[in-house]
Amino acid sequence: MVKYDAVVVGAGNAGLSAAIRMQLGGKKTLLIEQHNLPGGCATSFRRGRFEIEPSLHELCDVGTASMPGEIRELFGEYGVDLNWVQCPDCFRVISKYSDGSPMDVTMPDGIDAFIAKMEEYVPGSTPKMRELFDLYEEIRLGAIYTSASAGKADPKYMREHFPNMLRTGAYPVAKVFRAMKLPQKCQDILSTYWGYLGVDMEHLSFFHYASMMQRYVRLGAYIPLHTSHELSSALLDRFYQLGGEAWFNCRAEQFLFEGDKLCGVKTTLGDVACDMCLPNINADIVYGKMVPKELVPEREKKLSAARFQRYGARMFVAYFCLDCDYHELGIENYSYFLAGGSDSVKEYNNLLGGVSTNEYCIFLCYNVANPEFSPKGTCVCSITTFGSPKDWNGCSQKDYVALKEKMTDKMLGIVKQKTGIDISGHIEEVSIASPWTFARYLGVPEGAVYGHEVRDWDGIMPRMMMLKQDYPVKGLRPIGAGGPRGDGYSGAFICGSLVGRLALKDLKDWAEGGAN
Amino acid sequence: MANVKVSLIGALDMLKFKNMAADREKAIQAAPANEIVATFPINENAKALHPDFIDLVVKDVVDHGEAGAKSFVFAREDGKPLPYFRAGQYLSLKLAVGESFVTRPYSISSGPKWALEGMYAVTVKANPSGFAADWMLQNLKAGDKLKASAPQGDFYFDKYRDCKDVVALAGGSGITPFLSMAYAIRDGIEDFNLTILFGSRSENAILFRDELNEIAAACPKVKVVHVLSDEEKEGYEHGFITAELIRKVAPEQYSIFICGPEAMYRFVEKEVAKLELPRRLVRREMLGVTKKVWEQPGYPAASKDAVYKLTVKQGPNECVIDAFANEPILVALERAGIKAPSRCRSGECGWCRSRLLSGEYFMPEENDGRRWADKKYGFIHPCATFPLSDLTIEVPGEYL
Repeated sequence: MVKYDAVVVGAGNAGLSAAIRMQLGGKKTLLIEQHNLPGGCATSFRRGRFEIEPSLHELCDVGTASMPGEIRELFGEYGVDLNWVQCPDCFRVISKYSDGSPMDVTMPDGIDAFIAKMEEYVPGSTPKMRELFDLYEEIRLGAIYTSASAGKADPKYMREHFPNMLRTGAYPVAKVFRAMKLPQKCQDILSTYWGYLGVDMEHLSFFHYASMMQRYVRLGAYIPLHTSHELSSALLDRFYQLGGEAWFNCRAEQFLFEGDKLCGVKTTLGDVACDMCLPNINADIVYGKMVPKELVPEREKKLSAARFQRYGARMFVAYFCLDCDYHELGIENYSYFLAGGSDSVKEYNNLLGGVSTNEYCIFLCYNVANPEFSPKGTCVCSITTFGSPKDWNGCSQKDYVALKEKMTDKMLGIVKQKTGIDISGHIEEVSIASPWTFARYLGVPEGAVYGHEVRDWDGIMPRMMMLKQDYPVKGLRPIGAGGPRGDGYSGAFICGSLVGRLALKDLKDWAEGGAN
Repeated sequence: MANVKVSLIGALDMLKFKNMAADREKAIQAAPANEIVATFPINENAKALHPDFIDLVVKDVVDHGEAGAKSFVFAREDGKPLPYFRAGQYLSLKLAVGESFVTRPYSISSGPKWALEGMYAVTVKANPSGFAADWMLQNLKAGDKLKASAPQGDFYFDKYRDCKDVVALAGGSGITPFLSMAYAIRDGIEDFNLTILFGSRSENAILFRDELNEIAAACPKVKVVHVLSDEEKEGYEHGFITAELIRKVAPEQYSIFICGPEAMYRFVEKEVAKLELPRRLVRREMLGVTKKVWEQPGYPAASKDAVYKLTVKQGPNECVIDAFANEPILVALERAGIKAPSRCRSGECGWCRSRLLSGEYFMPEENDGRRWADKKYGFIHPCATFPLSDLTIEVPGEYL
């Protein structure tokens, strides 16, 4: 049997990050991936003369060389260099305010610009917005501190440096907004990003929302020049350079144990011995399918039951490659958030209700950020929304295409009605990915790329506080969207690094403890 | 900044923060220790529609006589429904031929309705250099077992992209995806108008003549115009598929779909160009990789007859095999019996994507369907890559 110090299962964002972390830590690491490509969501596919980005809208926390964000710093530490392109503006949102009046707002990035623009839309909002962004910044710094201390944060230091984070972090976003007496229109506009986290504002922890929003607004957002496949390829290449090995089209089927300690992985290319495994796999699949039944800890069963199979966003994306310049179609912005209204609870329930009630989508044109994204005189757009198990659980193969088209028709209609953009007559290539597609390529439960919902009680702060309790099986440290840093690209990169460090510590402790 | 308070008594806020872990633990402990649910309807649906592979058995072999082809009808051993598909898609058959393990892409010639009844058919035409085709025509018989991929490919009607009127240009066994589309239209599965311009040598050599005529008679959305190259006969067009002929049968707005052998492609391509249609209105089924790579621009002719050493890594295994300079690397793998993934064999689908560790290669530009970063970071599609030196590659596993 071949032997490695560590095996990382799943070459998605968290897996690539963890694999580099392990290899940097001097551990002989094998990365296995069930697909024939690295990246998971962070990949690309070809259609005709186009290369299409399947998932990344904007990556936060990159920043510039002189003002780097956490991701640029992490990649710098890894020795990974990339061509980054900055996305213009934060977002344009076309929706309705809570009072029913129409909302059409374009928010820039940069904190000062964001606040100034908000003043235009909501006169008199500046002092409150300033207060909010001060709080966001405190939380961002607090999050970095918490992450770096890997579950061993010093309460005294936290009280001194992040008192307002401690006061607000445990509450849902909407509650904090109300307590701060933010003007209602500000609250409505600020709700826009909820779809990025897949939980409504009444059940999403303020800590999580604030740290994410600050990451987007403070430094703007970026995409790689040549799709997120460039990102994954650069990470994989670095892993190879460091001496790592990777097997593609190889599926991990079972974890192997000696007593209660992991000793290897059974794969479709043979058994592999290892001391440590970092599966980039949802915990329900890790403990429900891949760990022998008698070794599944009681707490993991309870945790799964408490989460009640509430998985986050089940993706639905329609991709369109168009044979004209985006200006010709009247596309002005990079990303349009289109919602029925600003009540996120209602919007979330509507999308869980399926195609008949879902009125939420994000329309995006990659060429607005990156004119080189596709051949001259063409552009690529996508429409992203969420699928509901209600539609996709019971759909038959025979009705599958019709259901995909029904959803796409509805979203194209929303785009046309709200933005006036009509892409028909220009479509040269098209591809539609449903929750089935994401389930197929990623293996994630229900095609939900976000893992379990980061609902308040199970948000990233309490997960971060419980790193000790959340890995009950010796030698097994799951990573990814279901992990301590929740969903999203940057969260996954950080998670891979963070949990990789814990795994390195384990290996060091065991080596020092000798036979133990 | 000033203190922010959420609850009426601000001190409770900090306590709430401090208790987040304890509260989470309480929620966990309050839940029942049930068996963890790790199968999900959405994932099961996806797996049923897109399995890693399908075990098939040959139910029937139909000889098409003078048309020089045979259809192979496949089913599962238990007769259960097969994955549904879009008319126009193909199967990648996985064949053990002597010591070799080869794949071949074949358009499904039966209608999607058959899949629900547990059957697929593919149609294979004799062809002078067709190693696997000849083997199938001579050896594959009812009761034989083989594996196939799930239906693949993007050569199908799409309502967002294509005009409601499609003019199909078919040559020889290139009729098969259009036959499937015609069945799908007749059966109410697809909704578009299909006019097939079908090039054959003579009336008797027309593949699926009766089937096409029957569908056209029963279904006004399907029309078939036969174009005979070697025979002049009433009721048939004579010659080749030309721009003029396309104009004659086509309505005002139409999309063109092309499928046929290499010689027909090269001819028709020039005719279609005369129509000056936007790119989005012309779709081509994949052609495969040229059999005469040395005629490609940029190929170093001196290398043509060289034989190189190919070191192949796959998971924990490694071996060294011979690779001919005038054949794609994939063929060398197959000849050595290495089970590596491949599907389209045209350089496009990327399923065979492999890592090049060392060596020089040639890839015809028309077959280079790689992603940008794959070119940069040293990945190749072995089905369309020809060795120009000794090489070391790392191939993915194959699910079988």
